Amino acid sequence: MPLRVARQRTQMTLLLTALVAVSLVSLLIGAGETGPLRALAVLAGSQDSDASFVVWQLRAPRTLIGIVVGMALGVAGALLQAVSRNPLAEPGLLGVSAGAAFAVALTLVMGASAATLRISVAQLGALVGCLCVLSVTRVRGVGSDPVRLVLAGAAFSGLLSSLTSLMLLYDQRAADEIRFWVIGSLSGRRLDDLAAMLPSMLVAAVAVVLMARPLAALALGERAASGLGHHPGLIRWCVVACVALLVGGATAMAGPIAFVGLVVPFAARAMAGPDIRRTLWFCLPIGPLMVLAADMIARVAVAPSELPIGVLTALCGAPVLVSVVRARRLPSL
Amino acid sequence: MLIEQRALVVSTGLCVALLCAGVLYLSLGSMALPVSAVLPALFGRGEMISVFTVQELRLPRLVAACLTGAAFALAGVLMQTLARNRLATPGIIGIDNGATAFAVASVVGMGVSLTPPAMALAGAATAAALTFGLVAGGGTQGYRFIVAGIGVGAVFGAVTQLMLARVAIDTANAAYPWTVGSLNARPGDAVGLLAVGLGAGVIAACVVARPLSLMRFKDATAYGLGVNVKARRFQVLMLSVVLTALAVAVAGPVGMVGLIGPEIARSLSSSRQVPLLASTLAGALVMVLADLAGRTLLAPIEIPVGIVTAVIGGPWLLWILMRPQRSHA
Repeated sequence: MPLRVARQRTQMTLLLTALVAVSLVSLLIGAGETGPLRALAVLAGSQDSDASFVVWQLRAPRTLIGIVVGMALGVAGALLQAVSRNPLAEPGLLGVSAGAAFAVALTLVMGASAATLRISVAQLGALVGCLCVLSVTRVRGVGSDPVRLVLAGAAFSGLLSSLTSLMLLYDQRAADEIRFWVIGSLSGRRLDDLAAMLPSMLVAAVAVVLMARPLAALALGERAASGLGHHPGLIRWCVVACVALLVGGATAMAGPIAFVGLVVPFAARAMAGPDIRRTLWFCLPIGPLMVLAADMIARVAVAPSELPIGVLTALCGAPVLVSVVRARRLPSL
Repeated sequence: MLIEQRALVVSTGLCVALLCAGVLYLSLGSMALPVSAVLPALFGRGEMISVFTVQELRLPRLVAACLTGAAFALAGVLMQTLARNRLATPGIIGIDNGATAFAVASVVGMGVSLTPPAMALAGAATAAALTFGLVAGGGTQGYRFIVAGIGVGAVFGAVTQLMLARVAIDTANAAYPWTVGSLNARPGDAVGLLAVGLGAGVIAACVVARPLSLMRFKDATAYGLGVNVKARRFQVLMLSVVLTALAVAVAGPVGMVGLIGPEIARSLSSSRQVPLLASTLAGALVMVLADLAGRTLLAPIEIPVGIVTAVIGGPWLLWILMRPQRSHA
């Protein structure tokens, strides 16, 4: 055991170092004219006003938001997988993000556009999405087969996204406002947006910390968890609420980004082993790493234009999905 | 080939329903014509304007709707039988997305000179090969195959987005019908190609109908009954892929028809044979009705037919999944 703990400590240190490095690089490079050297000079305290605007007003908020979104999506994925006991349960695949996007589109069509409203609305939509998906899992035969759940999620999110595009077809103004948001991107977000999102994220974080022990007990089975003095039903409700807060907030920030909630817990479990508490810790650096890396590629790959970040996460997440499915035995949770 | 009485009745009924839907399709729209005026106009009699509306505007679109619906549904029922899973339709396992990605590549000019139909064919073949290759160990059965297909489809969907994000907005708009599925911009040569392909496909499907109905059993049983399972499987897969690709080249990814058509046909027919003909007709019927609804419901805005079928097909798919398990396909 000590050996393993030591190894995990090293891994964690490496991950944190990598996260700091990636955040720095995210400040340094970009599509515009401000090259790494000028950006570095700004960080060192130079008075170059153009470059300092780019670094502090454009790239810094973007990096911070990327970090928060990555943490939220990674942790939400790990929670959803733990509570549904399904290694493929991913908020994006199961239609939670689509629910959030649908709710946002609905309010935009109805004429609203305030930033704070958007966040609570997205969280409400994510909650409804979560409940729909989990009620499908409760139906006999679906929950027991992880792979069928994904199919149900695909059907659900397909339905929601076509309803979303139907509404946007009906309302040109909303379509203009939402067109770039719907495919997921970190560009053009301001710190105000992040500040509006922060309270709900903090609530979710506290709740996750409180729930970590009961969740670990739930991994032993419902009866064992009850015997240890926990309430499986209550835990499940809390987890659903947390996932809705996290995914709704992240979706309101950056649009629906699929596959982060699949890949991040997958990697975290590979490092941390079966304990959900350790897995959750490992999700914290891995999630931002993935989102920031994808965002950087999105910025520079087709400069001067930008790629939607969801495209990149899908490109690296779908192979992980396939490889999980291909494994002879699905990893059980 | 033994033709059951029930299959005959079902097919005739679907034909009649399709004809009625067709007449309705020709008469309704932004300029509604009375049904009594539609039939003469079809043969060139009556007022000039109604003749023009029916013959030039609505009839080609009706033909395209029938052909694409039929092709999607036939491809769907073939694939379902092959995979022994009623959810394994080309649309769900990513073949649609592959065809779309390649066709969009051709539309936005990614340095390829093939026409969209040819590219759609290449894309469908690539996606099918990828999906089947990735689950080579597990065979075509079970849900893993489908989820692998969803993964492959997600990659192709992302690639499509990637290409659309890179080009100018006008080019992206030109490629838009390809991404949702619409009968609005149907290339004429692709419709002709689809008509020929569908004709050949129906004949080929009739030829393989008997081995196909035996392939619903386990591989060993089918071998024992004299079916060369491997060769047949490859042929049927190819047929399904080609039909999907040709249909995508006309209407874009309207894959849900491949799920709904065979479902309707199966609930009407007896389970003794694979309902190939009934599925084909039901697919055409669904497509015609869906496009009719898309044209008229929110007029003057037109809902792309792909969205209509997705809105119907999504809940349908969920319902199939949540129903207590019965034997598949």
